[in-house]
Amino acid sequence: MVVAGRHRSIAFFTALGAGLVLVTILLYVGWVLLNWRTGILLFAGVLLLALIIAGVALNTIFLVREIRRNERHDAFINAVTHELKTPVASIRLYLDTLLTHPVEDSKRTEFYRVMLDDSKRLLATIEQILRAGRLGHPTRVLNSVPIDLNALVEQCLSQARTLYSLEPDSLRYHPGPAIRVKGDPDEIQAAVSNLIDNAVKYSGRDVQVDAETAQLDERHAIVRVRDRGVGIPEKQLKAIFRRFYRIPGPVAMRLKGTGLGLYIVRSVAKRHGGRVWAESDGPGQGSTFFLQLPMLR
Amino acid sequence: MNRILIVEDEQHLAKGLCFNFEREGYQVEAVETAKDALERLMLNPVPFDVLVLDVMLPDKDGFTVMTELRQAGQLIPTLMLTARGHSADVLRGFEAGADDYLTKPFDLAILLARVRGLLRRREWLQNRAHPPAASGESLQFGTAGEKTVDFDSLELTVRDQVFRLTLMEANLLKYLIRHEGKPLSRKAMIGDVWGLDENTDTRPIDNFIVRLRRYIEDDPTRPRHLVTVRGVGYRFVSKPV
Repeated sequence: MVVAGRHRSIAFFTALGAGLVLVTILLYVGWVLLNWRTGILLFAGVLLLALIIAGVALNTIFLVREIRRNERHDAFINAVTHELKTPVASIRLYLDTLLTHPVEDSKRTEFYRVMLDDSKRLLATIEQILRAGRLGHPTRVLNSVPIDLNALVEQCLSQARTLYSLEPDSLRYHPGPAIRVKGDPDEIQAAVSNLIDNAVKYSGRDVQVDAETAQLDERHAIVRVRDRGVGIPEKQLKAIFRRFYRIPGPVAMRLKGTGLGLYIVRSVAKRHGGRVWAESDGPGQGSTFFLQLPMLR
Repeated sequence: MNRILIVEDEQHLAKGLCFNFEREGYQVEAVETAKDALERLMLNPVPFDVLVLDVMLPDKDGFTVMTELRQAGQLIPTLMLTARGHSADVLRGFEAGADDYLTKPFDLAILLARVRGLLRRREWLQNRAHPPAASGESLQFGTAGEKTVDFDSLELTVRDQVFRLTLMEANLLKYLIRHEGKPLSRKAMIGDVWGLDENTDTRPIDNFIVRLRRYIEDDPTRPRHLVTVRGVGYRFVSKPV
């Protein structure tokens, strides 16, 4: 309902903008026809007209953007509510269960494990939100140290293997030559981990992810993460890095998330003077993410 | 034993709920998607007594599932469970046809108490003596008209024997009787009686037919009322010769 309302208001503002531009053009055309003799006034008039049209166009674009942003923000609040409350609900349910019923030892251990998993999931969501908040503040000074990129990626991969209980075969690593970059190890690790997490998450049942480090040119190193998962429509390849953005459709409904992961990756890349981009042959064709970082020389 | 269906895609929650309901002495089944839930509810010959429905499901939201169930005449007492606790969401749940609504995280004792409440109300309604059908929505069939089905009380009387039909059994029987003599495909039955789309698995229809035959046929192995039409489906014969 809310979404339909927003679409209506976008349409309304676009129509209003277009209508205003049209009325202004008509007025000025009439005015020019009536006063064609006064040349300088004519020139000034045309200039003014151009200015007004540009103003109205800008205004419309701004409004539409603002509405879209609000929309994403609402979706984000919904997703975060879900991501925060679900693990809490689960932990509480299991604690209540342990308090209410006598539970045999094997079950009890299983319940503890479930609660541990849920607390990890909760912590991951909280960290993601806090990190996105921190990265939004440009004033924070970069804690810059030399980093061994291969070791860092290796560490991210082994974390992901444990977290998702994956075979080493489904999450392969092809390290390049020894590369050192300069940056905040915590941030870069978060960026790489986010790329790997996404690759696993959007792979479906059959996880086949390849991570690779390489030297791109004399000054840049690159981390490449390739999956054979759901893929990305060409139109969305850029939008996915926006804050709160999630590709609309059934995949986003099935796989829950906050829409912060790739925003974090992009922010980290930018702060380190690097960049990130995605390539995909389309839905169902898998996708590849590239994180380019300046090398330490 | 009361049967509960849980529709929840978060596996930890589903497992925890199952454990608790089982400990309380219920028979529990859990599914993860709206599609599975609809199929289980509409096509399962043994009906469930309470439905616990999550809102954020991978294929459809819980509100839509609720609306679809109610439109199809499925009146199972339902408790909706969701992380979204805005009054607008709660109201939407009730408007869709939910009987109760609980936000996550919830208190286990309260959840169990609410489910017990739903079951209690259901039993009261069921045990209330059925008044004689005023509207008289009943149909007779059989060679000598010796079989009567009453669609208000969901009772099927064959000579002096009385069978209690489930709502879906009665709906299917009504549909068959209304289209007497015409061969009916399984797909048509799924669509017209259950309101499900054509891609739904139609095998459960055969289970329903087997059950109906057990009630209405003198010899269920040699059906004369509910005749199989090879390659199509079934045909109802009101007065077999």
